[in-house]
Amino acid sequence: MQAPHQVYMKFSLHIMLATLVAIGLVIAGCTTPGPSAEPEVTILYTRGTGPMPTLLATDQIDGYIAWQPFVEVAPLAGIGKVLAYSGDLPPAGKWQNHPCCVFAARQDAIENSPDLTNALTAALVLSTRYIEQHPNESAEIVADWLAGKGNFTYGDISVSSVEVLQRAFPTVKFVNPPTDDWKRDQLEFVYAQRELGLLSGSLMSSTDPESLDLLFDSRPYYAAAAMIESGTIITPPAQTRQVGVGYLLSDHHAALFVAVKNWQYFEETYGIAIKPRDLTASRPEIADLMVNGQPVAELKLISADAGPQLMQLAATNTIAYALVGNPPAIAAIDKDTPVKIIMAVNLEGSGVVIADDAPADDWESFVEWAESRSAQGKPVIIAAPGKGSIQDVLIRSALEESGLSVKEG
Amino acid sequence: MTLEIRNLAKEFPVPGQDSIRALSGISLSLAPKEFVSVLGPSGCGKTTLLRIVAGLDGATSGCIELNGEVVDRRSSKMAMIFQEYSLYPWRTVLDNITFGIEMQNVGKRPAREAALTYLHLVGLDDFADRYPYELSGGMRQRVAVARALAIEPEILLMDEPFGALDAQTRNMLQKELLEIWEKTEKTILFVTHSVDEAVFLSDRIVVLTERPGRIREIVDIPLPRPRDRTSPEFARIRRHVLHLISESGQPKEDLRVYPASL
Amino acid sequence: MRRPISTFLLPVLLILGWEVAAHVIANPFVLPSLTTVTPILLHPFSPAYTLGSGSLIDNALASLYRVAIGFLLAALVAIPLGIGMGRSRFMHDLLDSTIELLRPIPPLAWVPLALAWFKIGLVSITFIILIGAFFPILLNTIDGVKSVKKTWVEVAETLGARERDVLLKVVLPGSAPTVWTGLRVGFGIAWMCLVAAEWLPGTTRGLGYLILHAYNFGQTNLIIAGMVVIGVIGILIDQVFRAGEHRWFSWRALER
Repeated sequence: MQAPHQVYMKFSLHIMLATLVAIGLVIAGCTTPGPSAEPEVTILYTRGTGPMPTLLATDQIDGYIAWQPFVEVAPLAGIGKVLAYSGDLPPAGKWQNHPCCVFAARQDAIENSPDLTNALTAALVLSTRYIEQHPNESAEIVADWLAGKGNFTYGDISVSSVEVLQRAFPTVKFVNPPTDDWKRDQLEFVYAQRELGLLSGSLMSSTDPESLDLLFDSRPYYAAAAMIESGTIITPPAQTRQVGVGYLLSDHHAALFVAVKNWQYFEETYGIAIKPRDLTASRPEIADLMVNGQPVAELKLISADAGPQLMQLAATNTIAYALVGNPPAIAAIDKDTPVKIIMAVNLEGSGVVIADDAPADDWESFVEWAESRSAQGKPVIIAAPGKGSIQDVLIRSALEESGLSVKEG
Repeated sequence: MTLEIRNLAKEFPVPGQDSIRALSGISLSLAPKEFVSVLGPSGCGKTTLLRIVAGLDGATSGCIELNGEVVDRRSSKMAMIFQEYSLYPWRTVLDNITFGIEMQNVGKRPAREAALTYLHLVGLDDFADRYPYELSGGMRQRVAVARALAIEPEILLMDEPFGALDAQTRNMLQKELLEIWEKTEKTILFVTHSVDEAVFLSDRIVVLTERPGRIREIVDIPLPRPRDRTSPEFARIRRHVLHLISESGQPKEDLRVYPASL
Repeated sequence: MRRPISTFLLPVLLILGWEVAAHVIANPFVLPSLTTVTPILLHPFSPAYTLGSGSLIDNALASLYRVAIGFLLAALVAIPLGIGMGRSRFMHDLLDSTIELLRPIPPLAWVPLALAWFKIGLVSITFIILIGAFFPILLNTIDGVKSVKKTWVEVAETLGARERDVLLKVVLPGSAPTVWTGLRVGFGIAWMCLVAAEWLPGTTRGLGYLILHAYNFGQTNLIIAGMVVIGVIGILIDQVFRAGEHRWFSWRALER
């Protein structure tokens, strides 16, 4: 039998505990996001485009923003419908010709191997021009490189990769010139990354001229353009060590694929080619840079899963050149990775896909839908490949312009 | 081959406490071809004594002499037989027996032939290519004996070799051991728990006190072999030895044995 | 394989169950029908079914080669180390805490470091595989050595064995069954590390690479085909280990 004060102590302890728990629950209840004041959309980062179609088809997301061909795949494979292409996203006109992927090189490659850099740049420029002239053929080459010209199967629908790429190509602009306008457009991405808190180094608080200086070195482009104009490519000295060229498995990097697969054409017509060692492989790994009939460098073509990985390879000098999205290049340069952006590889080429049965078929109706979903406490979920990516920056800007706040999910 | 144990003592250090004195001042001489047992209450150090003689443990003081020469580690003139789990399960019976011979850089054929003779000696000719798991406990101990004999030691050290066997097998092996002993003329130092066994087998029994083990008494057994467990002389000696190892330690009567002529 | 009926019963049931469930669920993204997967598996020598990654067989061989190298290297390091740690208290105490610290780190987490240290290529891939195989082999070797009965060692010593003889004639054969188990488990884990290892950039072949490439394009059917091949090869190799165990180490199970 316990003394009364002992019983009281135990009892009051229980009461205190219960009160604390109750208070906690009330606070939690009050802070649970119910219908919030401002309409919002949730962005889900999927670290790549791979899972996006499945997420959409299983109703775990309401839509996604991705690069081609993952946009075009949707209507063709019955996964969803295209809401808008990236160039058309609001604010109106802002994203026309928005920068996308770039050709970058290590500074020491530009400084110490100028002829090699210029030649490689020239090869890509020639290839890009070819793509503009022969989009269907180029699309087929890309389908070979990415998918061995096989079928894409989503669920139980199969579509030919060739068809998908050929439909996607018109939405991608393959251009190179690093114009002033283009460079200024790139700065938009610098501002956006700053806002997202992704920059903490040299680009965090640099002035615009400083940023431009840090990011770009377009000399190889102009040298390449001049050589092409004059009709003669200068033969670089032969490289003794393998040269790494990184890229991503995206049709935005078609310039590289077309240059490699159509090497014969470029060699015959211009005296420069990226000739693959294995002529039958879909995705050649080793190629020789041939200039004026001579092999001048053994290139190792390395595909990575994502831009940041490529930039890390550049930082460790595993690759000297890369076709990469501009946000990873910006982030790398911010961290003092010794690379410079030489020229563009493509503009635009991304898009927003939503479910087939979504009650929206243009941006306005989409906004309305997002608002009503938000009011019900079930905000629309859009998947984006990665935080700070081009797609992420675009969709955030478009959403905020339309009065929707963004929440990360 | 004479084995001389001079003033052997063994202490085991215990961290943080006084060390344990296992043996104290053991002196003993073994004549060639003698069969000597070591008996005593639990913890008296009989196994420790054997292990020191075998070279598995070192003495704290005192020494062992073989034919007048001091030995401080293992000698090839001695072989030890353990109570159980001593056969190598991954080797056949015959390969177990050749184990010791292999260490002497003898060729494969001669080793095999030598092993076969010892296999025959312990009566297991048909089991040469069997594995230990196929044998009974008694058979395994016979293999262990053959293995020890195969390196042709002068002295066999046996640590309760029949302790894990049932009574019948035990008695059978005791008889066989005596036959082998008579044939091979080895000196045997035999540790056991069983008074009956010691009296049955030995020429002399060394009785140790409880820890720290000292020699209480060495009992002579001049009875001829084969010995009759039911005979009065056997019983008298057994009683005497039992008294020696009992708690009180005092013999009830002076039961030192007189020659059989009495 | 003994008892084929009971061995195959569950897998066959699972396959049948899969097809039924796929029909019932009727959402090919949740459970793809086997008809999208089987054509890939039925043409293992053709490169036309793998999105340009080469034939299934090519990829399987590439993976086997890498895993074999990583596994053998792991064994070469782990077995002697394990013997040393099992025999020597000093070595054990010296290394134990470090090993226990490293052991829980999944091989996947080593990828960025492997990339930085060993650059792209076979070495970094092999490193990841090695990490996977290393710890099971090491731990089982230590265990096996510790399970060698003291009596066995003492018997050898009393019969005239020197340190080297004890090691070669008693410790190694006595610990062999447990070491073998370590090798079997280690290989299984090394095989599992394929996807992590082949995630390294610069990899252009392999079952893990195949799966990752398929993942990047959302091709679930190819992912599943890759998984099936990985599983089948894994089982076959495990059977090889079991056969070895049966042939050489039956004595361990039959000892009392």
